[in-house]
Amino acid sequence: MTETKDSMESNDNLDPRFENLAGYVLGALDHADERSAVENLIENDPEVQAEFEELSEAANLLATSVPPVEPPASLKTRIMDMAGQGTPSRLVEIVNMYQKQGGRSGPPWWRRAFQSGLAVSAAAAVLVVVVGSALSYQNNQLGNEIDTLRANLATESVVVANLQTELSTTLSDSENRVATMKSEIKVMEDDFGAITEMVVHQEEMVSQLGIVNNALRQALSDQNWLTYVSTKEGYQVESWLASNAQQVTSTEPTASGLIAVRIVGNEAVFQVHGLPQPQSGYAYTLWLMGNGDPQPIAQFAVSEIGSATIAFLLPQPLQFYSSVVVTQERVDGIGVDPTGTMVLFAQTN
Amino acid sequence: MNYQGLEDLELLAKIGEQDRQALAALYDRYGRRVFALAVRMLNDPLGSEEVTQDVFMSVWRRGASYTSKKGKFTTWLFSITHNRTIDELRKRRRDRSRENADIDDHLNIQSGDISPADAAVARYEYAKIRAAMERLPVEQKSVVELSYFKGLTQTEIATKTGQPLGTVKTRMRLALKKLRTALSAEMGAQS
Repeated sequence: MTETKDSMESNDNLDPRFENLAGYVLGALDHADERSAVENLIENDPEVQAEFEELSEAANLLATSVPPVEPPASLKTRIMDMAGQGTPSRLVEIVNMYQKQGGRSGPPWWRRAFQSGLAVSAAAAVLVVVVGSALSYQNNQLGNEIDTLRANLATESVVVANLQTELSTTLSDSENRVATMKSEIKVMEDDFGAITEMVVHQEEMVSQLGIVNNALRQALSDQNWLTYVSTKEGYQVESWLASNAQQVTSTEPTASGLIAVRIVGNEAVFQVHGLPQPQSGYAYTLWLMGNGDPQPIAQFAVSEIGSATIAFLLPQPLQFYSSVVVTQERVDGIGVDPTGTMVLFAQTN
Repeated sequence: MNYQGLEDLELLAKIGEQDRQALAALYDRYGRRVFALAVRMLNDPLGSEEVTQDVFMSVWRRGASYTSKKGKFTTWLFSITHNRTIDELRKRRRDRSRENADIDDHLNIQSGDISPADAAVARYEYAKIRAAMERLPVEQKSVVELSYFKGLTQTEIATKTGQPLGTVKTRMRLALKKLRTALSAEMGAQS
């Protein structure tokens, strides 16, 4: 006979202690706190425990009422292989290890059974344990890896030390080579400096020799001319003005000069060589000295090589004068006495 | 040693000694029922294989801690199976990756390679539970089906059926009590 309505379906008369018990057995509770409350009642209330066992038996009947189905043969093989491996699930192994190490009895079988699928809070607790144990397991693994890394590091350190030694030796050799090369370069630089100095000095000497050579060539030419003139025209060289002549002084080392006097009469020729160009506003002045007041004879300019030739009449015979002087005097007027720089001085014979 | 002749508790004791043959014997004895319950709930042979594998590995690891004081071994075993399958059902429901069959689809589950003798026993047992279920008021039968085989919670059932939550709770309790009364006398002694 099939009932269509049960007179006791109303929830009004249901003991609150049993309210969620069927839902617990059927796995139909919504929240973890509901499951915890039911589990506490089962543990502490004999009436609830009795009701729980009754309802659990009914749920077991539901399971056994399902017609058996033959699973694939490979499933048994797989299960037996996993059992043979001993560690089918690291997670469960860690949980079991924790339970054994905890040294306290676990919850009742029914709680453990329902924990696996229903009690979220219990599952969370297990997860904490699992995570903790897993971390411990990880720590062990990390410790092993660290030991391995340390060993590798020690080996690598030896290699690095050898490389450092080789590198140090190589660097030392290189530094020595660089120092040697620097020393050689310094010697070469010194040699080059000395050579350069010599070249410059030689160039200066050549230049000076050229000037002297030109002056001597001109002097020789003039002397030849003067010798010819004196022979032909009756002149004789009475006085030489030269920087290297005795009793002759000059501020110009390359300057030289002479005075040729005609044997008969008072005609004279003055020649000078190797004088620099006078300073601006000045000109060279020839003086006869030592016979009363200084006698300015003439102002003259010099050529590019410092030469000049002056013909003049002697006021008195040359032997009446003690010296012949050349000074630089202003071009705009000659004083009664020489005041400018004296460049040539010679005593007369 | 004839493992097939050993009682459940004796096999569990040997499992506690890491005797794989004991596990094999226990699997031979209950593997089809465990697998069938998973198939009944999941309607998915592959997923049911995973559940069955997990259940027997759980027995392998925890069987030593079981004692008869904790009740029938089958109650313990099917509780593990049921809860593991509910986990899978709810996971799939969250993932929305698979759809389950309608509430009455379990009536069409095939027995596969079950032996003729087992099939006969199963048909007999199933006929009895089917009859007992048929005698339940349809509302009570519905909440049992939805909760035990479909894995819905009380609140979900109330929402799905439009019944008050308190009424759902009462109907669950009444349905279980009536089923036990109707079937325990005949099936209680069987494992």
